Amino acid sequence: MPSIEEIPAIDIRDLRVDYEQFTAVHDLTLKVPRGEVFGLVGPNGAGKTSTFKVLASLMQPTYGEVFLSGVDVLEDKEAARRVIGYMPDLAPVPRDLKCGEFLRFYARAHGLGNDKQCAVRADECLEEVALSDHKNHWCHKLSRGQTQRLVLAKTMLHAPKVLILDEPASGLDPLARRELRSTLRKLASQGATIFISSHILTELAEMCSSLCVMSSGRLLASGSVEEVRTQLGDHSRKLFVSLLSSLSHVPDWIGQHPCITSTQLAAGVLSLDFIGDDEAQASLLEEMIRQGLRVRSFSEKRSSYEEILIGVAERSRLS
Amino acid sequence: MNHPPVCHFWELWKNPIFLRYCRSRLRPAGLLISCAITFLLAGFIFQMSRSLSGHTDGFSAADVERTPLVGLLILQGVVLFIFGTAQASGGMTAERDEGVIDYQRLLPMTPAAKVIGYLFGLPIREYVMFASTLPFVIWSLWQGQVPATRWLSLYGVMTSTTILYHLTGLLTGTIVKNRRWAFLASIGLVFALYTVIPQMAKFGLVFFKYLTVTPMIEESLRHLTPRSIGETWETGRLLISEAKFFNLNFSEAVFTYFSQSCLIITFFVMLCRRWKDASAHLLGKIWAMGFYAWVQILLLGNALPLIESGKLFPSQQFSRYTSLLRGKAWEPASWEAIAMILAYGFLSLLFLWILSGIITPTRSTQINGWRRANKLGLTHLPPLNDESNSTGFVMLMAIIGGAGWFTFLHMIVESHWFPGHFAALPISSYFILAMLSCTLLHQLALEAKGARFVFIAIILILVIPLMIAAILVSTSEDFIPVSVWIAGISPLCLPALCAAHHLSITELSVELSRVIPNAYLFWQTIHLIVILMLAHQLRVSRKTLATGG
Repeated sequence: MPSIEEIPAIDIRDLRVDYEQFTAVHDLTLKVPRGEVFGLVGPNGAGKTSTFKVLASLMQPTYGEVFLSGVDVLEDKEAARRVIGYMPDLAPVPRDLKCGEFLRFYARAHGLGNDKQCAVRADECLEEVALSDHKNHWCHKLSRGQTQRLVLAKTMLHAPKVLILDEPASGLDPLARRELRSTLRKLASQGATIFISSHILTELAEMCSSLCVMSSGRLLASGSVEEVRTQLGDHSRKLFVSLLSSLSHVPDWIGQHPCITSTQLAAGVLSLDFIGDDEAQASLLEEMIRQGLRVRSFSEKRSSYEEILIGVAERSRLS
Repeated sequence: MNHPPVCHFWELWKNPIFLRYCRSRLRPAGLLISCAITFLLAGFIFQMSRSLSGHTDGFSAADVERTPLVGLLILQGVVLFIFGTAQASGGMTAERDEGVIDYQRLLPMTPAAKVIGYLFGLPIREYVMFASTLPFVIWSLWQGQVPATRWLSLYGVMTSTTILYHLTGLLTGTIVKNRRWAFLASIGLVFALYTVIPQMAKFGLVFFKYLTVTPMIEESLRHLTPRSIGETWETGRLLISEAKFFNLNFSEAVFTYFSQSCLIITFFVMLCRRWKDASAHLLGKIWAMGFYAWVQILLLGNALPLIESGKLFPSQQFSRYTSLLRGKAWEPASWEAIAMILAYGFLSLLFLWILSGIITPTRSTQINGWRRANKLGLTHLPPLNDESNSTGFVMLMAIIGGAGWFTFLHMIVESHWFPGHFAALPISSYFILAMLSCTLLHQLALEAKGARFVFIAIILILVIPLMIAAILVSTSEDFIPVSVWIAGISPLCLPALCAAHHLSITELSVELSRVIPNAYLFWQTIHLIVILMLAHQLRVSRKTLATGG
């Protein structure tokens, strides 16, 4: 029997979700270790929200198994609900409660003690998301960013072992995003596992220790940000070589190099579209020097996360 | 990992959902206005009634104090039944509209505790408004010397009726997507319960009267009004049909609890199922069948004891006065018996359709079920699961309905009111067949083609032929045979044709007795052929699904 530390925080096996003829999630298998901030990225319609709803015990999948900290979500929903904190997309709030009342209600519903203890915990969570001043404000009168933070505070109330956050940064300004990032890091440092989704890869790359990419309901890659880039087959980069001696034309051997797809020479700067790995890139630099080119600078520009994701979405749309 | 529950379902005082609504719906500003208005209205009714009756000759001091009671009861009824029910349904829909219902689904509470929290939490302000009328009511009951047993049982019934209506509101709010529609549907339902549905009691379906507080008020009215009025009322009450359950006699209060409890439990189960799984059917197959059998028993238990005395027949009540004047004894007409037999048949059919609609899986539910089964290597779907087909259970319910219907008509036809007429047991199969045909057509079409198709079919095949037939009949008597054939297209006409063909009390004209048997046999055959075709289509499609196609 595995020890508690060995049991993954999230263990999804063969998960499939169908809406009539449309398959939202195709046989997804995924493990998220404890204490990770794990990102799920994918374009709209990738199956992120469906996956999260199943994880949060809000939806019955067509088939598959889901375990959260060893608790079978589909078999023992009540136990699973003690383990998870779920923040849905667009984070709704009730119109008839004030922020403090909203949090106290959920604190009581999670059995966090008597009224006084619940109030203390609600205040702590409001403090955590920097909303203490808004304790007596109506929930529905908060700004979008404040609402997101309030719902995050609600999600954190019972100190869940697994936090499932569906697009928590949507609608947030850069400052609010930074605050969200620091809150999530703090939660992760306290031992919580955070599973977070977004369709913006850069957003997740900044806050996640590892991530996975989904498109059209299928898992395309998972691991660290660099591993995901590799798994998605993205080795392309643009190399810029600035030379001391000016060239009238691009040497033939460069144009015929197997890792170079196109070349361009302008104002003494040679631009190369390069598809090789880091090793091949280093060899190219060595070869240039051996061939007598006086290299003043050598730099690279890799395709952005957004470009990778757009490529993934395009490929999956075409297939 | 065994955690103690946050609260057991009976621990209302600890229920977080109940406490949440106590907080939001009992804010002083809104509460004070509502309570002040109710208190003023109650005070007005109290004082006006007492002032007016104070000038009436023959009223004792206790009589004067009793006069406000009926008005106050009506006010309490409006607050609890109408405002409370609307709040229950509207509040539920609001939670869904705002999107916060998912938060509540995630609370580690049992579905029963959640239902109880909403049931008593959403209409909490209406309970306080009700309480604000109590000082006047208590004064009137005390000074009016109303026996404690009487008002205790009256308020007991009021409580169970309130719970029933509020559960109806919650259910409407859970099912109906649109907030306005949910509000209108629940109010409409309460309104119908007090106006339209009690009229069914006049057709022997006394059960429906017991979904309201009316029988209890009727029974208690002698004690709630000044003595002279109460005595007159008591004499008049003898003319109203009384309710028995087979050969048992219950007090009105006990029988109301008996009738309402089944619905309360069923609605509660429906809500719990939805809280457990938002995509689940409202009722399981076994529960739906048991509920239908229970409804049949209640309908028969109420109606059959009224046949011998003739109280089942509405014309008896009207004829009491005229027969007294003319000195002639009353007898029910055969057309009246036929009308009542058809009313019972259609009502049974309506219940069957509703329940079969609840337990029949949609195409996508079945597909998902088969995908799951295929993944698990199963060769069939577990029969009690929502995704497995409901045809077998619907057939069993149709047989129960057909048997209930035949029992009802058998007791009427073979009663002493219609000597020489028989409805022998062997012909029961025709009535069961008619019920089966109508039900299976609905269920199979629903399963094979979906709800939208059934809705359009109901309008085109069920209603329009009947309308055309009605227009033809009203144009000329010559069109009667044609209209019988056209009406036969509608499956709804099948029970009527079956009754007309097999029951001797129908006393058909020569022309009709020639047309009806042919039309009945023809359309019964056509319906059976359609049923077989639909069943075959479904069988093929199930096989395809089972093989992962």
